[in-house]
Amino acid sequence: MGRDEGSGLSELATAVAHARVAGLEDVFLERRVDVCWRLAEGRIVSRETLLREGAAVRRDGTLVSGDGLDRPVLARLLGSTTRALPPFSAPPFPDPPQFEETLPDVPVAWASVRWSWRWTAVLTGHGAVPVRRPDLAEVTFDDGHRALTVWPPATDREPHGTVPATHANARVGTARVLLAPAAAAVLLHELVGHPLEGDLLLRGASPWSGRQGERLLRLELSVSDDPSRTDLPGAFSADDEGETAQPRELLAGGVLVGALADRESAAALGVPTGNARRATVHTRPRPRMSNLVARAADPLPHPPRNEAAIEVTSLASGTLEPASGAILLQVRTAFALRRGERHRTLTPFTLVGSLAAVRAGLLAAAEPTLPVAEPGWCAKDGEIVPTGAVAPWLLLSGLEVR
Amino acid sequence: MRADADPLLPALQAASEELASRGVRFEVFARLGESVHLVRDQDGALERRESHELGVACRVSGGGRAGFAAAAGGGARAGRQAARAALDAMLPSPDPLPPREVLGTSGSALFHAPADPGQQDALAQALASALNDASSEVTLVQLRILAGTSSAAIATGEGYLGRAAAGGAVAELLLAPPAGPWRHLHFAAPTVAELDPEVLAHRAAEACLLATRGEPPDRQLADVLLAPSVAAPLVVALAQHLARYPINDGELKRARISKAWHLVDERPGPAGLLPLPWDGEGLPTRRIVLLAGGHLHESFATWERAQRTGEQPGGAVRPSYRHPPVPGPANLVVLSGTALRQPELLARLESGFYLALPAGAVRVDHASGRFALRAAAVAVEDGRPAAAHPLVDLRGSFRRLLGALAATGGDAESFSLASAVTTPSLLVRRLEIA
Repeated sequence: MGRDEGSGLSELATAVAHARVAGLEDVFLERRVDVCWRLAEGRIVSRETLLREGAAVRRDGTLVSGDGLDRPVLARLLGSTTRALPPFSAPPFPDPPQFEETLPDVPVAWASVRWSWRWTAVLTGHGAVPVRRPDLAEVTFDDGHRALTVWPPATDREPHGTVPATHANARVGTARVLLAPAAAAVLLHELVGHPLEGDLLLRGASPWSGRQGERLLRLELSVSDDPSRTDLPGAFSADDEGETAQPRELLAGGVLVGALADRESAAALGVPTGNARRATVHTRPRPRMSNLVARAADPLPHPPRNEAAIEVTSLASGTLEPASGAILLQVRTAFALRRGERHRTLTPFTLVGSLAAVRAGLLAAAEPTLPVAEPGWCAKDGEIVPTGAVAPWLLLSGLEVR
Repeated sequence: MRADADPLLPALQAASEELASRGVRFEVFARLGESVHLVRDQDGALERRESHELGVACRVSGGGRAGFAAAAGGGARAGRQAARAALDAMLPSPDPLPPREVLGTSGSALFHAPADPGQQDALAQALASALNDASSEVTLVQLRILAGTSSAAIATGEGYLGRAAAGGAVAELLLAPPAGPWRHLHFAAPTVAELDPEVLAHRAAEACLLATRGEPPDRQLADVLLAPSVAAPLVVALAQHLARYPINDGELKRARISKAWHLVDERPGPAGLLPLPWDGEGLPTRRIVLLAGGHLHESFATWERAQRTGEQPGGAVRPSYRHPPVPGPANLVVLSGTALRQPELLARLESGFYLALPAGAVRVDHASGRFALRAAAVAVEDGRPAAAHPLVDLRGSFRRLLGALAATGGDAESFSLASAVTTPSLLVRRLEIA
């Protein structure tokens, strides 16, 4: 992990270590910029800039955080004096990209574009660890849905392909559905990602608690969490406890083989750490997904539209309810299929099924496996972090349309 | 006021000085939020989070251009950064800033005592113990107690300075009943001292055990009685949907409005959870009547929107210092004309569903004006409980919701959601249940 030469961070880490703050776990420093361009008919109508910086100190089970990133703020959080801390400098707030040069032709369906830059560093007893992340692009569309990618956003995507003009309600009842990569990513994020977060495993809030080594899916699907994929929005060079980021295999050929852990849950579960993320400087690091990468052992060459009644191209949200074992997928965009062709555009509906139904009902995966702008912002107890995914098409039976 | 005694003033002054020499109209807004968040896990382990969020925002206008920027921190550096970034962000735009004459008289804010961690510890202990006494069947998975205060200041280049302060406390319980989904319960009050552990524990256990086993109902149109905790997020979602459109322009302008609706944003108080002296732009707060007497009276408007649409300004909110003012609800109150007791509401429901507890957030598609939420429910036949349904989906359109309110209860409760909201039980005819 590289050091920020000349920033004074290493000297600051040394001074913090020498300060002998009782029960000190780590110090977290953050600086970030968000610029939001609001659009109408493809033209910029306003621009908002947000410059944020802050620090947080964890000690004796307490997180103390404050806005501002100067020595007096840090001294107050540490219960130290300003003079005890050496001068240090975070990277300056960068200038935002030139919007018109980067995005000369903005689709009229875009309501806003947000560029985000974030720098963080973690000071531990071993030194200072600056964290590198890709700049992010969030596009909000006229209908309110958002797409999150690394900067810059692509303007030439046609997210749903050919859209039939006739609309219909999905027929209530059990259906065989074909999930496009964006929808498959959300399903796998809820089915494999969240439930393997260490704090949920320890709290008993995951259906996969104590089931390592068991076959989860009949389908030979492998899923890993990969923060080193800098082409995806969940990437980071080190986690928010300063541990070097590494890909973590969660599911190998359908079998549960891993978990996502911060330091605390890693110790309790006996798994490697490196998956701690903080939504902001004011939140505690917790085990979280970064970029979900799913690969099938033997995928079909093309999406099997002939074998499904419904093609789902995007979901508004997905939920796994651990206690009831129910999976709910709120479908945003879907099409009724007839003889392998899109026949009608379906109004939004809900797909509901049990965990057992999903585990047994994942029938096939198909190419192309693609990076997608879903799940995007991932919320856990109101704490939101960017995530990305690469997923194939999935053929799924046993879910009920409601 | 001395800058060294007030954490908001250094940034406020530095930003004002930076902008005053630039020949632009400007507004500087600073806010300090201090909160203590206590989390108690199932094994009794405590985690504490103390946060001190302080920042400053600037809006500038001049020469047919306007800009907005915000910066974290309370020092002069943050003020200068926000001011310079706002100048850099200026783009062709109408002047969004209200004139001095519509802003209030400068006032001082009442003091709100900071959160007392010892008081939170005691409440956590008492609540866990009371829950244990209230039911041996319910397991406390997690308990969160949040207490906080905020103070804000707004200043303009034309000499207006306003101050405001607020405080609040929230208790959230994650409970595991013997069967069925875990339940999340939310209670809010102006202070920690007003959260009574015995009352909260009793109500939480009762709600948690109401619908633990059962199948989802068939998809149908049904009359529904929404408990205050279910009605509250729906009322906020409705108000947010109304805020999206000027009163004469939205898809709801010709909607039939039930005379049972009396929904107001009680910004100046004293009703509701979170009264404040001025809106997000410094205009003196006033009661905004959204729905009453079978009519859609008003929506929310910032000064800039009001100039375009002819609406009344004063409906701006700032979710934090990071956001420019936007139209939206602040302190919603559903006033109850009928104020029926629960047996009377159940009798009027006759057959349908009583939705007792929300199970997740309300999902809204603003493009179609439709909403959906999940809840624990009890099917009611002839005014009596007939079957339990641990999870049902309630779906409908805001247009339908406006026309279908039949009666309101006398059991109003307050919640701290995206805005403060106080609502009684609501009896609504023919929404979709699945």
